[in-house]
Amino acid sequence: MSEFHKGIAEILEIDESAVNAATDLHAGEAAWDSLAVVSTIALIDDCFNVMLDGQSLTNCNTVGDIEALIEAARKA
Amino acid sequence: MATTATIADIAEFIPEGKLSNQDLELLYPSWPASKIYEKTGIQNRGIAAPDQTAGDLAQAAAQALFARGKVRAEDVDFIILCTQAPDHVLPTTACILQHRLGVPTSAGALDVNLGCSGYVYCLSLAKGLIESGAANCILLLTADTYSKYIHPLDKSVRTLFGDGATATAVIAKEAERSAIGPFVFGTDGSGAEHLIVPAGGFRRPASAESAEEFRDGSDNVRSANNLYMNGAEVMAFTLREVPRTVDKLLDKAGLARDQIDYFVLHQANRFMLEALRKKMKIPSEQMPVRIEEVGNTVSSTIPLTLISMLQLGLLDTEKRLMLVGFGVGLSWSACILTI
Repeated sequence: MSEFHKGIAEILEIDESAVNAATDLHAGEAAWDSLAVVSTIALIDDCFNVMLDGQSLTNCNTVGDIEALIEAARKA
Repeated sequence: MATTATIADIAEFIPEGKLSNQDLELLYPSWPASKIYEKTGIQNRGIAAPDQTAGDLAQAAAQALFARGKVRAEDVDFIILCTQAPDHVLPTTACILQHRLGVPTSAGALDVNLGCSGYVYCLSLAKGLIESGAANCILLLTADTYSKYIHPLDKSVRTLFGDGATATAVIAKEAERSAIGPFVFGTDGSGAEHLIVPAGGFRRPASAESAEEFRDGSDNVRSANNLYMNGAEVMAFTLREVPRTVDKLLDKAGLARDQIDYFVLHQANRFMLEALRKKMKIPSEQMPVRIEEVGNTVSSTIPLTLISMLQLGLLDTEKRLMLVGFGVGLSWSACILTI
Protein backbone atom coordinates (compact mmCIF):
# COMPACT_ATOMS: atom_id res chain seq x y z
CA MET A 1 0.00 0.00 0.00
CA SER A 2 2.94 2.39 0.52
CA GLU A 3 3.20 3.45 -3.13
CA PHE A 4 -0.54 3.98 -3.15
CA HIS A 5 -0.44 6.02 0.06
CA LYS A 6 2.39 8.13 -1.33
CA GLY A 7 0.36 8.83 -4.46
CA ILE A 8 -2.78 9.65 -2.48
CA ALA A 9 -0.76 12.06 -0.32
CA GLU A 10 0.39 13.86 -3.46
CA ILE A 11 -3.13 14.01 -4.86
CA LEU A 12 -4.67 15.33 -1.64
CA GLU A 13 -1.64 17.56 -0.96
CA ILE A 14 -1.13 16.20 2.54
CA ASP A 15 1.82 14.56 4.30
CA GLU A 16 2.32 10.87 3.46
CA SER A 17 2.51 9.97 7.17
CA ALA A 18 -1.03 11.34 7.57
CA VAL A 19 -2.47 8.81 5.09
CA ASN A 20 -4.31 5.83 6.58
CA ALA A 21 -7.64 4.11 6.08
CA ALA A 22 -9.45 6.74 8.15
CA THR A 23 -8.04 9.71 6.20
CA ASP A 24 -10.85 11.99 5.08
CA LEU A 25 -10.58 12.64 1.32
CA HIS A 26 -12.01 16.08 1.84
CA ALA A 27 -9.48 17.09 4.51
CA GLY A 28 -6.51 17.99 2.29
CA GLU A 29 -5.46 21.22 0.65
CA ALA A 30 -6.75 19.89 -2.66
CA ALA A 31 -10.44 19.25 -3.26
CA TRP A 32 -11.66 15.69 -3.85
CA ASP A 33 -12.82 16.84 -7.30
CA SER A 34 -12.80 15.45 -10.81
CA LEU A 35 -9.07 16.08 -11.21
CA ALA A 36 -8.31 14.20 -7.98
CA VAL A 37 -10.51 11.31 -9.13
CA VAL A 38 -8.80 11.16 -12.53
CA SER A 39 -5.41 11.17 -10.82
CA THR A 40 -6.54 8.39 -8.47
CA ILE A 41 -7.77 6.22 -11.35
CA ALA A 42 -4.32 6.40 -12.94
CA LEU A 43 -2.61 5.79 -9.58
CA ILE A 44 -4.67 2.67 -8.83
CA ASP A 45 -4.16 1.32 -12.33
CA ASP A 46 -0.41 1.81 -11.86
CA CYS A 47 -0.23 0.31 -8.34
CA PHE A 48 -2.75 -2.52 -8.57
CA ASN A 49 -3.50 -2.95 -12.29
CA VAL A 50 -7.22 -2.50 -11.69
CA MET A 51 -9.51 0.12 -13.19
CA LEU A 52 -12.10 1.74 -10.93
CA ASP A 53 -15.00 3.76 -12.23
CA GLY A 54 -15.11 7.48 -11.63
CA GLN A 55 -18.53 7.64 -10.01
CA SER A 56 -17.70 5.06 -7.30
CA LEU A 57 -14.48 6.90 -6.55
CA THR A 58 -16.24 10.26 -6.42
CA ASN A 59 -18.60 8.80 -3.80
CA CYS A 60 -15.75 7.71 -1.50
CA ASN A 61 -15.23 9.65 1.72
CA THR A 62 -12.09 8.07 3.15
CA VAL A 63 -8.93 6.33 1.91
CA GLY A 64 -10.43 3.15 3.43
CA ASP A 65 -13.43 3.46 1.11
CA ILE A 66 -11.06 3.54 -1.88
CA GLU A 67 -9.11 0.56 -0.53
CA ALA A 68 -12.35 -1.39 -0.21
CA LEU A 69 -13.13 -0.65 -3.87
CA ILE A 70 -9.65 -1.79 -4.88
CA GLU A 71 -10.04 -5.04 -2.90
CA ALA A 72 -13.45 -5.72 -4.46
CA ALA A 73 -12.10 -5.06 -7.97
CA ARG A 74 -9.10 -7.35 -7.42
CA LYS A 75 -11.36 -10.20 -6.30
CA ALA A 76 -13.78 -9.68 -9.20
CA MET B 1 8.22 -0.66 -57.12
CA ALA B 2 4.76 0.54 -56.34
CA THR B 3 2.95 3.84 -55.89
CA THR B 4 3.08 4.60 -52.19
CA ALA B 5 2.01 7.48 -49.96
CA THR B 6 4.58 9.53 -48.09
CA ILE B 7 4.61 12.76 -46.06
CA ALA B 8 6.43 15.48 -48.03
CA ASP B 9 6.09 18.38 -45.61
CA ILE B 10 4.11 19.71 -42.61
CA ALA B 11 3.29 23.23 -41.45
CA GLU B 12 1.24 24.78 -38.65
CA PHE B 13 -0.73 27.81 -37.60
CA ILE B 14 -1.46 28.71 -33.98
CA PRO B 15 -3.69 31.78 -33.48
CA GLU B 16 -2.17 34.86 -31.86
CA GLY B 17 -4.70 34.95 -29.02
CA LYS B 18 -3.29 33.31 -25.89
CA LEU B 19 -4.75 31.98 -22.67
CA SER B 20 -2.12 31.54 -19.95
CA ASN B 21 -2.20 29.81 -16.58
CA GLN B 22 -1.98 33.27 -14.98
CA ASP B 23 -5.21 34.23 -16.80
CA LEU B 24 -6.87 31.02 -15.56
CA GLU B 25 -5.67 31.39 -11.97
CA LEU B 26 -7.74 34.59 -11.70
CA LEU B 27 -10.88 32.63 -12.60
CA TYR B 28 -10.25 29.49 -10.54
CA PRO B 29 -8.92 30.50 -7.10
CA SER B 30 -8.55 26.85 -6.01
CA TRP B 31 -6.17 26.15 -8.90
CA PRO B 32 -2.98 28.26 -8.80
CA ALA B 33 -1.07 28.65 -12.08
CA SER B 34 1.70 26.37 -10.78
CA LYS B 35 -0.77 23.54 -10.12
CA ILE B 36 -2.32 23.90 -13.58
CA TYR B 37 1.14 23.65 -15.13
CA GLU B 38 2.21 20.74 -12.95
CA LYS B 39 -0.88 18.68 -13.84
CA THR B 40 -1.36 19.59 -17.49
CA GLY B 41 2.15 20.46 -18.65
CA ILE B 42 0.51 23.40 -20.40
CA GLN B 43 1.51 27.04 -19.93
CA ASN B 44 -0.30 28.72 -22.83
CA ARG B 45 -3.13 27.85 -25.21
CA GLY B 46 -3.74 29.46 -28.60
CA ILE B 47 -7.23 30.94 -28.76
CA ALA B 48 -8.97 31.85 -32.01
CA ALA B 49 -10.44 35.36 -32.24
CA PRO B 50 -14.26 35.62 -32.21
CA ASP B 51 -14.32 36.04 -36.00
CA GLN B 52 -11.58 33.45 -36.66
CA THR B 53 -12.89 29.99 -37.60
CA ALA B 54 -11.30 26.56 -37.98
CA GLY B 55 -11.49 27.21 -41.74
CA ASP B 56 -9.41 30.36 -41.25
CA LEU B 57 -6.84 28.49 -39.16
CA ALA B 58 -6.66 25.67 -41.72
CA GLN B 59 -6.22 28.20 -44.53
CA ALA B 60 -3.32 29.86 -42.68
CA ALA B 61 -1.66 26.48 -42.05
CA ALA B 62 -2.03 25.53 -45.73
CA GLN B 63 -0.55 28.87 -46.80
CA ALA B 64 2.38 28.29 -44.43
CA LEU B 65 2.86 24.87 -46.07
CA PHE B 66 2.82 26.34 -49.59
CA ALA B 67 5.26 29.09 -48.50
CA ARG B 68 7.78 26.36 -47.62
CA GLY B 69 7.92 25.53 -51.32
CA LYS B 70 7.73 21.73 -51.37
CA VAL B 71 4.16 21.65 -52.66
CA ARG B 72 2.13 24.30 -54.45
CA ALA B 73 -1.61 24.92 -54.35
CA GLU B 74 -1.83 23.93 -58.04
CA ASP B 75 -0.30 20.51 -57.26
CA VAL B 76 -3.05 19.56 -54.80
CA ASP B 77 -5.66 17.14 -56.18
CA PHE B 78 -7.47 16.31 -52.92
CA ILE B 79 -8.19 18.21 -49.70
CA ILE B 80 -9.07 16.42 -46.47
CA LEU B 81 -10.01 18.70 -43.56
CA CYS B 82 -10.36 17.17 -40.11
CA THR B 83 -12.43 19.45 -37.88
CA GLN B 84 -15.24 19.39 -35.33
CA ALA B 85 -15.91 23.11 -35.62
CA PRO B 86 -16.88 23.58 -39.28
CA ASP B 87 -17.45 27.11 -40.62
CA HIS B 88 -21.05 26.21 -41.56
CA VAL B 89 -23.41 23.30 -41.02
CA LEU B 90 -23.18 23.10 -44.80
CA PRO B 91 -21.41 23.41 -47.20
CA THR B 92 -18.28 21.42 -46.42
CA THR B 93 -15.48 23.66 -45.13
CA ALA B 94 -12.92 21.80 -47.30
CA CYS B 95 -14.88 22.95 -50.40
CA ILE B 96 -14.63 26.58 -49.28
CA LEU B 97 -10.91 26.09 -48.69
CA GLN B 98 -10.42 24.78 -52.26
CA HIS B 99 -11.47 28.20 -53.52
CA ARG B 100 -9.74 30.25 -50.85
CA LEU B 101 -6.43 28.43 -51.34
CA GLY B 102 -6.50 28.48 -55.15
CA VAL B 103 -6.49 24.69 -55.39
CA PRO B 104 -7.64 23.53 -58.87
CA THR B 105 -11.36 22.83 -59.28
CA SER B 106 -10.38 19.33 -60.49
CA ALA B 107 -9.49 18.48 -56.85
CA GLY B 108 -11.66 16.44 -54.50
CA ALA B 109 -12.46 17.84 -51.06
CA LEU B 110 -14.15 16.53 -47.94
CA ASP B 111 -14.38 17.13 -44.21
CA VAL B 112 -13.80 14.46 -41.59
CA ASN B 113 -15.60 14.91 -38.28
CA LEU B 114 -13.18 13.34 -35.82
CA GLY B 115 -11.25 14.77 -32.89
CA CYS B 116 -8.11 13.50 -31.24
CA SER B 117 -7.95 10.30 -33.30
CA GLY B 118 -8.48 12.25 -36.54
CA TYR B 119 -4.95 12.73 -37.86
CA VAL B 120 -4.21 9.01 -38.00
CA TYR B 121 -7.61 8.31 -39.60
CA CYS B 122 -6.97 11.00 -42.23
CA LEU B 123 -3.54 9.53 -42.97
CA SER B 124 -5.28 6.20 -43.67
CA LEU B 125 -7.67 7.95 -46.08
CA ALA B 126 -4.78 9.76 -47.78
CA LYS B 127 -2.86 6.52 -48.15
CA GLY B 128 -5.92 4.80 -49.61
CA LEU B 129 -6.51 7.58 -52.14
CA ILE B 130 -2.89 7.63 -53.26
CA GLU B 131 -2.14 3.92 -53.30
CA SER B 132 -5.36 3.18 -55.19
CA GLY B 133 -4.33 5.72 -57.83
CA ALA B 134 -7.24 8.08 -57.08
CA ALA B 135 -5.06 11.05 -56.06
CA ASN B 136 -1.41 12.13 -56.13
CA CYS B 137 -1.06 15.12 -53.83
CA ILE B 138 -3.25 15.39 -50.78
CA LEU B 139 -3.55 18.45 -48.60
CA LEU B 140 -4.38 17.00 -45.18
CA LEU B 141 -5.60 19.77 -42.88
CA THR B 142 -6.42 19.55 -39.17
CA ALA B 143 -8.07 22.54 -37.52
CA ASP B 144 -10.19 23.05 -34.44
CA THR B 145 -11.50 25.82 -32.24
CA TYR B 146 -12.74 23.94 -29.17
CA SER B 147 -12.37 27.22 -27.21
CA LYS B 148 -15.63 28.33 -28.82
CA TYR B 149 -17.44 25.36 -27.23
CA ILE B 150 -15.93 25.79 -23.76
CA HIS B 151 -17.59 27.68 -20.92
CA PRO B 152 -15.09 30.17 -19.43
CA LEU B 153 -15.73 28.80 -15.93
CA ASP B 154 -15.24 25.11 -16.78
CA LYS B 155 -11.67 24.49 -15.59
CA SER B 156 -11.89 20.76 -16.41
CA VAL B 157 -11.58 21.54 -20.14
CA ARG B 158 -10.51 25.18 -20.36
CA THR B 159 -7.14 24.35 -18.78
CA LEU B 160 -6.48 21.74 -21.48
CA PHE B 161 -7.69 22.70 -24.94
CA GLY B 162 -6.07 25.16 -27.33
CA ASP B 163 -7.00 26.16 -30.88
CA GLY B 164 -4.70 25.45 -33.81
CA ALA B 165 -4.26 23.98 -37.25
CA THR B 166 -1.77 21.99 -39.30
CA ALA B 167 -1.26 21.20 -42.97
CA THR B 168 0.41 18.00 -44.15
CA ALA B 169 1.28 17.24 -47.77
CA VAL B 170 0.83 13.52 -48.47
CA ILE B 171 2.19 12.71 -51.92
CA ALA B 172 2.69 9.73 -54.23
CA LYS B 173 6.14 8.22 -54.44
CA GLU B 174 7.43 5.15 -56.28
CA ALA B 175 8.99 2.94 -53.61
CA GLU B 176 9.37 -0.67 -52.48
CA ARG B 177 7.44 -0.10 -49.26
CA SER B 178 4.86 2.40 -48.15
CA ALA B 179 6.04 4.92 -45.54
CA ILE B 180 2.56 4.99 -43.97
CA GLY B 181 0.91 1.97 -42.35
CA PRO B 182 -0.14 -0.54 -41.30
CA PHE B 183 -3.05 0.80 -39.28
CA VAL B 184 -5.28 -0.35 -36.45
CA PHE B 185 -8.56 1.35 -35.62
CA GLY B 186 -11.05 1.26 -32.78
CA THR B 187 -14.44 2.74 -31.99
CA ASP B 188 -16.71 2.56 -28.94
CA GLY B 189 -19.81 4.68 -29.38
CA SER B 190 -21.09 3.58 -25.97
CA GLY B 191 -18.72 6.20 -24.60
CA ALA B 192 -20.06 9.03 -26.79
CA GLU B 193 -21.51 10.85 -23.76
CA HIS B 194 -18.14 11.15 -22.04
CA LEU B 195 -16.74 13.77 -24.42
CA ILE B 196 -19.56 15.71 -26.00
CA VAL B 197 -21.23 18.99 -26.85
CA PRO B 198 -24.74 17.77 -25.93
CA ALA B 199 -26.84 20.44 -27.70
CA GLY B 200 -26.57 22.33 -30.98
CA GLY B 201 -27.02 19.44 -33.40
CA PHE B 202 -30.37 18.04 -34.50
CA ARG B 203 -30.73 15.50 -31.68
CA ARG B 204 -31.03 18.44 -29.31
CA PRO B 205 -31.18 21.82 -31.06
CA ALA B 206 -29.73 24.79 -29.18
CA SER B 207 -32.48 26.60 -27.28
CA ALA B 208 -33.02 28.82 -24.27
CA GLU B 209 -33.31 25.62 -22.23
CA SER B 210 -30.04 24.12 -23.53
CA ALA B 211 -28.28 27.42 -22.76
CA GLU B 212 -29.19 27.22 -19.06
CA GLU B 213 -26.01 27.15 -17.02
CA PHE B 214 -25.39 24.84 -14.09
CA ARG B 215 -22.55 24.15 -11.66
CA ASP B 216 -21.22 20.59 -11.34
CA GLY B 217 -19.82 18.78 -8.26
CA SER B 218 -16.31 20.02 -9.04
CA ASP B 219 -17.46 23.65 -9.16
CA ASN B 220 -17.33 23.95 -12.96
CA VAL B 221 -20.00 25.93 -14.82
CA ARG B 222 -21.36 24.93 -18.22
CA SER B 223 -24.54 24.51 -20.24
CA ALA B 224 -25.62 21.78 -22.67
CA ASN B 225 -24.28 23.99 -25.48
CA ASN B 226 -20.76 23.66 -24.07
CA LEU B 227 -18.11 20.99 -24.31
CA TYR B 228 -18.35 18.42 -21.52
CA MET B 229 -15.65 15.92 -20.61
CA ASN B 230 -15.98 13.14 -18.07
CA GLY B 231 -12.30 13.08 -17.20
CA ALA B 232 -12.48 9.88 -15.17
CA GLU B 233 -14.13 7.90 -17.97
CA VAL B 234 -11.78 9.30 -20.60
CA MET B 235 -8.77 8.45 -18.45
CA ALA B 236 -10.03 4.91 -17.87
CA PHE B 237 -10.74 4.46 -21.60
CA THR B 238 -7.29 5.72 -22.53
CA LEU B 239 -5.41 3.54 -20.04
CA ARG B 240 -7.43 0.54 -21.22
CA GLU B 241 -7.30 0.98 -25.01
CA VAL B 242 -4.03 2.73 -25.84
CA PRO B 243 -1.62 0.04 -24.54
CA ARG B 244 -3.78 -2.62 -26.21
CA THR B 245 -3.74 -0.69 -29.50
CA VAL B 246 0.03 -0.29 -29.40
CA ASP B 247 0.49 -4.04 -28.92
CA LYS B 248 -1.99 -4.83 -31.66
CA LEU B 249 -0.20 -2.59 -34.14
CA LEU B 250 3.22 -4.01 -33.29
CA ASP B 251 1.78 -7.45 -33.88
CA LYS B 252 0.16 -6.45 -37.18
CA ALA B 253 3.35 -4.75 -38.39
CA GLY B 254 5.52 -7.67 -37.27
CA LEU B 255 7.68 -5.30 -35.25
CA ALA B 256 9.18 -5.50 -31.78
CA ARG B 257 8.84 -2.54 -29.46
CA ASP B 258 12.56 -1.73 -29.73
CA GLN B 259 12.18 -1.35 -33.49
CA ILE B 260 10.11 1.81 -32.94
CA ASP B 261 12.25 4.93 -32.62
CA TYR B 262 9.51 7.24 -31.30
CA PHE B 263 5.98 6.85 -30.00
CA VAL B 264 4.06 10.00 -30.98
CA LEU B 265 0.86 10.01 -28.95
CA HIS B 266 -2.03 12.42 -29.06
CA GLN B 267 -0.96 15.23 -26.72
CA ALA B 268 -3.94 15.18 -24.37
CA ASN B 269 -2.13 16.60 -21.32
CA ARG B 270 1.08 15.81 -19.48
CA PHE B 271 -0.58 13.84 -16.75
CA MET B 272 -2.29 11.43 -19.16
CA LEU B 273 0.84 11.08 -21.30
CA GLU B 274 2.92 10.26 -18.22
CA ALA B 275 0.37 7.69 -17.03
CA LEU B 276 0.46 6.02 -20.46
CA ARG B 277 4.23 6.19 -20.68
CA LYS B 278 4.62 4.56 -17.28
CA LYS B 279 2.07 1.87 -18.07
CA MET B 280 3.69 1.02 -21.41
CA LYS B 281 7.24 1.41 -20.01
CA ILE B 282 8.38 3.71 -22.80
CA PRO B 283 11.50 5.79 -22.02
CA SER B 284 10.69 9.51 -21.95
CA GLU B 285 13.26 10.26 -24.68
CA GLN B 286 11.22 8.04 -27.03
CA MET B 287 7.94 9.80 -26.34
CA PRO B 288 8.13 13.39 -27.60
CA VAL B 289 5.88 15.98 -25.96
CA ARG B 290 4.71 19.26 -27.42
CA ILE B 291 2.02 20.75 -25.28
CA GLU B 292 3.48 23.54 -23.14
CA GLU B 293 2.88 26.46 -25.48
CA VAL B 294 -0.13 25.16 -27.43
CA GLY B 295 -2.26 22.94 -25.18
CA ASN B 296 -4.36 20.03 -26.41
CA THR B 297 -5.15 21.02 -30.00
CA VAL B 298 -7.32 17.94 -30.74
CA SER B 299 -6.49 16.50 -34.20
CA SER B 300 -3.50 18.84 -34.58
CA THR B 301 -1.45 17.52 -31.65
CA ILE B 302 0.30 14.70 -33.52
CA PRO B 303 1.38 16.78 -36.56
CA LEU B 304 2.42 19.65 -34.23
CA THR B 305 4.64 17.19 -32.37
CA LEU B 306 6.07 15.92 -35.67
CA ILE B 307 6.94 19.51 -36.61
CA SER B 308 8.82 20.05 -33.35
CA MET B 309 10.67 16.74 -33.88
CA LEU B 310 11.69 17.92 -37.37
CA GLN B 311 12.85 21.25 -35.92
CA LEU B 312 14.87 19.52 -33.19
CA GLY B 313 16.61 17.38 -35.82
CA LEU B 314 15.22 14.13 -34.40
CA LEU B 315 14.11 13.09 -37.89
CA ASP B 316 17.27 14.10 -39.81
CA THR B 317 17.86 10.43 -40.60
CA GLU B 318 15.02 8.06 -41.42
CA LYS B 319 13.07 7.02 -38.34
CA ARG B 320 10.23 4.61 -37.66
CA LEU B 321 7.43 6.19 -35.62
CA MET B 322 4.24 4.90 -34.12
CA LEU B 323 1.43 7.47 -34.13
CA VAL B 324 -1.48 6.91 -31.72
CA GLY B 325 -4.63 9.06 -31.62
CA PHE B 326 -7.45 8.59 -29.11
CA GLY B 327 -10.41 10.53 -27.77
CA VAL B 328 -13.84 11.85 -28.64
CA GLY B 329 -16.16 9.24 -30.21
CA LEU B 330 -14.85 7.33 -28.46
CA SER B 331 -12.44 6.70 -31.29
CA TRP B 332 -8.84 5.59 -31.55
CA SER B 333 -6.29 4.63 -34.16
CA ALA B 334 -2.59 3.97 -34.58
CA CYS B 335 -0.20 3.61 -37.48
CA ILE B 336 3.44 3.18 -38.32
CA LEU B 337 5.04 6.16 -40.08
CA THR B 338 8.50 6.06 -41.62
CA ILE B 339 9.74 9.59 -42.03
